[in-house]
Amino acid sequence: MTAPHADPLITGYLARLADAAAGLPNGPRTELVDDVRAHIAEARARETGEETDATILNILDRLGEPTVVVADARDRLGSGPQAPLRPGVVEYGAIVLLPFLWPLGVVLLWSSRAWTRRDKVIASLVPPGGYFGLVLIALTAQAAGVVIQGSGPLPGFGHLYILLLPILIFFAPVYLFIRLRPGRSQVARGGRARHRRPVA
Amino acid sequence: MPTDGLVSQMRRGALEYCVLALIRDTPRYAFDLIDALGKTGMLTTEGTLYPLLSRLRRDGLVKTEWRESSDGPPRRYYELTTEGRRALTAFRTEWSAFRAAVDGILQEAKKT
Repeated sequence: MTAPHADPLITGYLARLADAAAGLPNGPRTELVDDVRAHIAEARARETGEETDATILNILDRLGEPTVVVADARDRLGSGPQAPLRPGVVEYGAIVLLPFLWPLGVVLLWSSRAWTRRDKVIASLVPPGGYFGLVLIALTAQAAGVVIQGSGPLPGFGHLYILLLPILIFFAPVYLFIRLRPGRSQVARGGRARHRRPVA
Repeated sequence: MPTDGLVSQMRRGALEYCVLALIRDTPRYAFDLIDALGKTGMLTTEGTLYPLLSRLRRDGLVKTEWRESSDGPPRRYYELTTEGRRALTAFRTEWSAFRAAVDGILQEAKKT
């Protein structure tokens, strides 16, 4: 036996839910209303005793105020648990290729989601961008050498560059590797996740 | 009580993982989850489970399948994906560490 006012009660609730959810994107809104409609049907099918208006009202009460449900939906849409990202071929490829095949390394670096934008910029720019940097340094060193020979202002400057070169070249891969720590990868996945990081 | 908001926030945050844990071994439908969560006091507003489930699905942590039911309308079953399993494992580790840290501090404070 159906409750005398089951239909208007349920239709009314669903209408209020749809109204409250008007601000949600289309997909999630329809899905929410459909899910709740299915929930009500299931709850009614589960009731063993005679269905009264009170039965329906209790089902709707347990569901919660539409505004509360939608507020929760809005929060959930923006955030949620994310699977921790495991470093894979792309990540290790970027680390290995960056010093040797800089253009390819940079492409891999930027296509990975394991690092924050800041990390990517740092790794792309310092130290001095693999091949291009190498050439640049070589040229600068050469120029500095010429200056030295021509009694320049900074004797030994070119040599300093050459000494620093091996250290500089491996700065980016080492830096990226450190930043790839498992705990970090999840944080780096999206800007939103970063905001959710506990302050403590 | 000043801790009310905090507790509900904590419950809300942990709820996602409780759902993942509940479907770890066997797929379940929403009402089944509501029963299990309701008993523990983890879910007070039943309707809020649905946005959570959609979110988990959209993130690829669960997958769903409609199945006929013998005693009512068809039910959508939620099943853990490999990604979901990974997220659950990660949370389990984090949670143990978090709980141990807080417990340790609370115990220490009790002694003094």
